[in-house]
Amino acid sequence: MPKDTETRMIVIAPSSSVTPDQITRLIHTLSAEVTVKETCYGAMVEGERAEVAKTLEAVRKLDPNRIFSKVRGFPIGDARRCRAHHGSRPGFTQLEKEWECLSLIEKGVTCAEKGEAPPEIPRRQKITVEELKRIVEETG
Amino acid sequence: MKVFIVPPNSLILYDLVERYGHTPLSLMGAISKRVMNPEIESPPINVTPNDVKKGLKYAGIEVPSGIRGRLAVWGPLVDEAEAAIIMEDAPFEFGCVGCHRTDEMIRFLVKKRKIPLLEVRYPTNEDEAKVLVSKIKSFLEGLK
Amino acid sequence: MIKIAQLSCGTEYSGVQSEIERAATTVGAKMVFPDVEAAEIERAVEEFGFRPTSPQLKLMIARTLAITEGHYDADAVFISSCFRCAEAALIRNELRRYVQEHSHLPVVTYSFTERTKAGQLLTRMEALVTIVERKELLARERQVGLTAGIDSGSSTTKAMIMRDNEIIGKFWHPTGEVIGSAQEALDKALAEAGVKQSDLEAIGVTGYGRYTIGKKLNCQLIQEELTTNSKGAVWLADRQKGEATIIDIGGMDNKAITVRDGIPDNFTMGGICAGASGRFLELTAKRLKVEITELGALADRGDARKVPMNSYCSIFGIQDLVTSLAAGQTIEDVAAAACQSVADQVYEQQLQEIDVRQPVIQVGGTSLISGLVKALGNVVGSKPIVPPNSQYIGSVGAALLSSGFLEGHR
Repeated sequence: MPKDTETRMIVIAPSSSVTPDQITRLIHTLSAEVTVKETCYGAMVEGERAEVAKTLEAVRKLDPNRIFSKVRGFPIGDARRCRAHHGSRPGFTQLEKEWECLSLIEKGVTCAEKGEAPPEIPRRQKITVEELKRIVEETG
Repeated sequence: MKVFIVPPNSLILYDLVERYGHTPLSLMGAISKRVMNPEIESPPINVTPNDVKKGLKYAGIEVPSGIRGRLAVWGPLVDEAEAAIIMEDAPFEFGCVGCHRTDEMIRFLVKKRKIPLLEVRYPTNEDEAKVLVSKIKSFLEGLK
Repeated sequence: MIKIAQLSCGTEYSGVQSEIERAATTVGAKMVFPDVEAAEIERAVEEFGFRPTSPQLKLMIARTLAITEGHYDADAVFISSCFRCAEAALIRNELRRYVQEHSHLPVVTYSFTERTKAGQLLTRMEALVTIVERKELLARERQVGLTAGIDSGSSTTKAMIMRDNEIIGKFWHPTGEVIGSAQEALDKALAEAGVKQSDLEAIGVTGYGRYTIGKKLNCQLIQEELTTNSKGAVWLADRQKGEATIIDIGGMDNKAITVRDGIPDNFTMGGICAGASGRFLELTAKRLKVEITELGALADRGDARKVPMNSYCSIFGIQDLVTSLAAGQTIEDVAAAACQSVADQVYEQQLQEIDVRQPVIQVGGTSLISGLVKALGNVVGSKPIVPPNSQYIGSVGAALLSSGFLEGHR
């Protein structure tokens, strides 16, 4: 494998209507020199770094704020991290959780894109002793 | 700029750092360099007992080997970083991080570097997500 | 193929994962990793009741429950974490207990550093595979028929003849040429028992020379010492049920084995420091000009606290003892201090890697030195049980287990 190879995970937010199948089909039509594998959350792409970047750019256009990506430590299908042999990869559970959160992140990205000011979120404060005392007396 | 992310394997942070024009320094990147090196034979992640010794740069010999090994992988990323984003309360940081003590140590090492640092919280609702993205975007734009 | 489920934290980042997998492959097993989903982890941690802060330890808990609840199929369990990690040590031991209480799967535990010893890993894997493959054999608590056990150790060779759960002949001597020493020990033990080798219904062999002897004498059982020593010790001490720790302070190396119902689940082995071995006591006896057999009784009458020791080393420590003799301390106090020093070193160097469970059964030649037993008792919190024939545990275990091969033919 050439030295400047990169493996990427492409992850579709749950709120998107794009399917993993659509992504892999699109990549095939790009005729880029990359390997692609469809997954339950999107796809994995592997190839020369610049080719992967180009592919990713095209894929993002399908739904820019709902398609996310990060690099992957292991090449596609690497036996050292095969789920069948090693159980779920250590990072997989985190990916599961982050995937659930992507619909929220999408709202954030869209909001930032429009240049909207984010909402003010009041910080949770501990109640005062007086307040607590009043509650105890009222409920007691 | 090279931006170190905590959790170092976070998809959300990796994506946002790249989306807003910077280079994320991630665990996956560090692991990738190791596993793609055919000269190391210590599967699965090619951290060798020798690397664990290199971890002594960050923690003493009385510290468990798993912590020193982790620090040997991430310590150099912290050293290389020009800025950092730490996301608190992330729900899971398995395996790739896995050890709470290492996690605390990494945060400390980042703070000691005195590089531009943004600390945010993992969002639990839409409003929090908007705040998170907005903070990250303006932090990253400010680095340019 | 025997599937050993790995529940661990830190193995990959300590560079020891490939060693673990290699050890499993060597004994014909393979490491497997229960697959659990994110949602399952929080539930498992709640169910288990211990909330570690480290995520990998939470994953260990979830993987454990996947096994004990029957969602994942494994034949044995290997629980491992970094040496010196307090959080992981608590979890490791509680998970070990949990697996033993909620399943019938054999477990071994291991705390490692980056300098993992391949031999120690291999012995653990071999013991696990044995327990899986020879479960019925290991359940044996009574010896039947006429059998012999040979323990071919690196310093001494022991032989034991047993008939219907009774010891009828025994012999030990220093190991010379492996087969010759074994044959001689066996012959002497047979002579004491008044039986011939051809009368034996089965022979079991353990220890360092087991493969060579096993082949030569056509032994029915060739077994690593972790398993035979555990069975032998609980038989001799009549502690076949429940938990125990077996401590063997040898002339050259030490072993500490933890067992549950006579089945081993962890052990440590040392052998790099003479100050933590019987050798220290031998040297002390020589300097005090007394026989090693007298040292124990002398120590019983002495007070270790009266002799200041700045070193436990067999060179510098013994020098301290000699100096205190010159300063007017009694020979009894010095003998007691020597015993306490060895016990303290066993604690420092070995017992920290295992969870010491009561009762402690002390075995091996040094268990005959009463002062050392007392000193070890000070360290572990209760006086160890020293069973009769405590130096014969390996050969008793081998004779007992080999009789398991007879049942089917009767």
